[in-house]
Amino acid sequence: MRHNKLALASVVAAGALALSACSSAGGTTADPSSAETFNPNEQVTLTLTWWGNDDRASRYQEAIALFEEAYPNITVQPTFSPWDDYWTARSTEAASRSLPDVMQFDLSYMREYADNDMLLNLQPYLDNGTIDLSGFDPSLVSAGVLDEKQVAIPTSTNTFSMFTNPAILDQTGVAFPDDATYTWQDFNQFIADTTAAGATTDDGYAIYGSPDYTGTFWFFMQWLLQKGVQPFAEDGSLGFTQDDVVEFLNLTADLRAAGQTYPQDRTVALTPVSGFASNEAAAQMNWDNFLASDSADSGSELALHQIPSIEPGEKHLFLKPSMLLVAGANTEHAAAAATLINFLLTEPEVGAIFGTSKGVPADVVQRDKVEAAPGSIDAQVIAYEESISRDVTETVPIPVKGYGTIEAKWKTLAEEVAYGNLTPEDFAKQWFDEAELAMS
Amino acid sequence: MTTYIQTVGLVHEASREAGRRRRRRSEALAGYAFLSPWLIGFVLLTAGPMLASLYLAFTDYDLFGAPTWTGLENFQRLFTDPNYLQAWKVTGSYVLLGTPLKLAAALAVAMLLNTKRRGRGFYRSAFYAPSLIGASVSIAIVWKAMFIDGSIVDRISQFFGAEPGGWVGDPTRTLPMLILLTVWQFGAPMVIFLAGLKQIPTELYEAASMDGAGPVRRFVNITLPMLSPVIFFNLLLETIHAFQIFASAFIISNGTGGPAGSTLFYTLYLYQRGFVDFQMGYAAAMAWALVLVVGAVTALLFRSSRMWVHYSGDAR
Repeated sequence: MRHNKLALASVVAAGALALSACSSAGGTTADPSSAETFNPNEQVTLTLTWWGNDDRASRYQEAIALFEEAYPNITVQPTFSPWDDYWTARSTEAASRSLPDVMQFDLSYMREYADNDMLLNLQPYLDNGTIDLSGFDPSLVSAGVLDEKQVAIPTSTNTFSMFTNPAILDQTGVAFPDDATYTWQDFNQFIADTTAAGATTDDGYAIYGSPDYTGTFWFFMQWLLQKGVQPFAEDGSLGFTQDDVVEFLNLTADLRAAGQTYPQDRTVALTPVSGFASNEAAAQMNWDNFLASDSADSGSELALHQIPSIEPGEKHLFLKPSMLLVAGANTEHAAAAATLINFLLTEPEVGAIFGTSKGVPADVVQRDKVEAAPGSIDAQVIAYEESISRDVTETVPIPVKGYGTIEAKWKTLAEEVAYGNLTPEDFAKQWFDEAELAMS
Repeated sequence: MTTYIQTVGLVHEASREAGRRRRRRSEALAGYAFLSPWLIGFVLLTAGPMLASLYLAFTDYDLFGAPTWTGLENFQRLFTDPNYLQAWKVTGSYVLLGTPLKLAAALAVAMLLNTKRRGRGFYRSAFYAPSLIGASVSIAIVWKAMFIDGSIVDRISQFFGAEPGGWVGDPTRTLPMLILLTVWQFGAPMVIFLAGLKQIPTELYEAASMDGAGPVRRFVNITLPMLSPVIFFNLLLETIHAFQIFASAFIISNGTGGPAGSTLFYTLYLYQRGFVDFQMGYAAAMAWALVLVVGAVTALLFRSSRMWVHYSGDAR
């Protein structure tokens, strides 16, 4: 009999767990007036997670140390992982409603998580002053609003740029084209010439012009905008066709056929460091905030240029709100989480710690605090975003449902193209099939 | 009188029967009580989730929302998914090549260790060690480091005149690399083979030698038939085990199944569909397809065993 009681008790307990799991799903609909400010006498442990490399981790550690000094009763438990693993881990946590209290987040996955009520609505904490966004451009704040809920707030902005490695340019003797007016064809020519120069690294590895830029979905979107095509329609459907995809992939078809883009097998072997950051490629298109981590990985001085365009000079750039901060809807310490988010977003010292490694800070005080010594990486990135400001003519494509998945599929399929296992036409077909599944 | 006695006897018999039943029932209860740790674990951790996944296999479920019933759609999709076919190709090659090679290595080393020589105990432990640590993440990382660009394997092959470049980024060499990893972990079947070899009566070999049978003949006509139950056992275990390869492929390809899908093992692809693409329903359908195939292969092995496995005392 006692056994039965025990069994009954455990069934009830399990049921209660299930119920609480269900009820926490609706946890984002907190009444704004009921939001509490953080109680400084309460001992709280917060979990914080981000993606990135060691360089970023040590900057976060510094910021956390400052935070714990300012809020002695909050302990922050940090974790971090590379981009791909990061989202796998989050998805399993989301399924079990055990997301970390505070997370670095990306536009790509924002809709997926927000639609399922996984992210805390931060609006109450904006209203009661826990989070103070007075130093933010309002358009950036609204980038984190979905369905009238402030589910995320960007830390910074970044935009596309072209990195070059001046030491390699010297070594190969191939001059980089005039970045104000060069086209994709000019850039292709540069890649071909650099690879054909036949230079090698000290370890004997061949030096290439650039990795194949068609392997990244964001670059495709940038190219579409230059072509006058909006990647996503208002209703969340795709604004482009398979022909657009084929055309883009064929930009580098000749380079691939001649083996002039950076080889895929070497890319795989070097992962997570890129071939460019390993000083084996002369140039690589990338988000401008990567200059810090690429410089750290490469150990040599890198230069920032503008990206190529379809029509000379018509760049059609956009500023991407990035490194958004969110709180998991399942957090038990919402006020403390909001306090940490506010600290990371607006504390001037944190701005100094991260510099431009997460992009140019969105908060004006943090931006001013970035100690941009002339010629430093931070100064380069800030100067770049200022110099291209009149080319920023587009708004960032709205994240659609399943965006993270279709972006990842692009990468996987592009790898097959790089190995010659898939034609651009097959790529387009398979990718559209996957997109249909992911977005439905 | 007699009826009375009979009646008493019957009553007595009946009560004894009832007592026996009661005793049997209480024995059964005790049995279940002793079983309960396993039983609870089985129901909660195996049977429950399996039933849930069977249900999910017929739904569209993205981990976040509630599953929606889609009938056989997931199973139909299996047949048109090019990656799914690729996953079978990779897994099939791995099972067909890796398992026999591993068993051959295990048997060969077991036979070497079965002879009487000094340090036998040491060698036995040394050869068994890799399979103790083999399933671990760290060994896969070490394996990757051994085969990557500029690694020991790359340098040795360059010394013999090969082009520089490791195995990790080369789609034609990643599968051989993983097969080598599993072959190297032959320790567990080796120990079982060793025990089997010890069971073979030495008189058989003596008699055969007397009749002029050489080592090859003795191996084919005595060792193999006498060992066939053990071979069957090892074959079964290792085949099922090989279908489930995940960790090493996950580590070596960073979870991508790459380069170019060359390490896209079944379970890895299943994991990707479930936890990267959030297509839990499809992943559950894949899991059940795997259960069916492994079940069929096991049944086939059992069926075939009647033809080649000899138990001592058999007429054959």
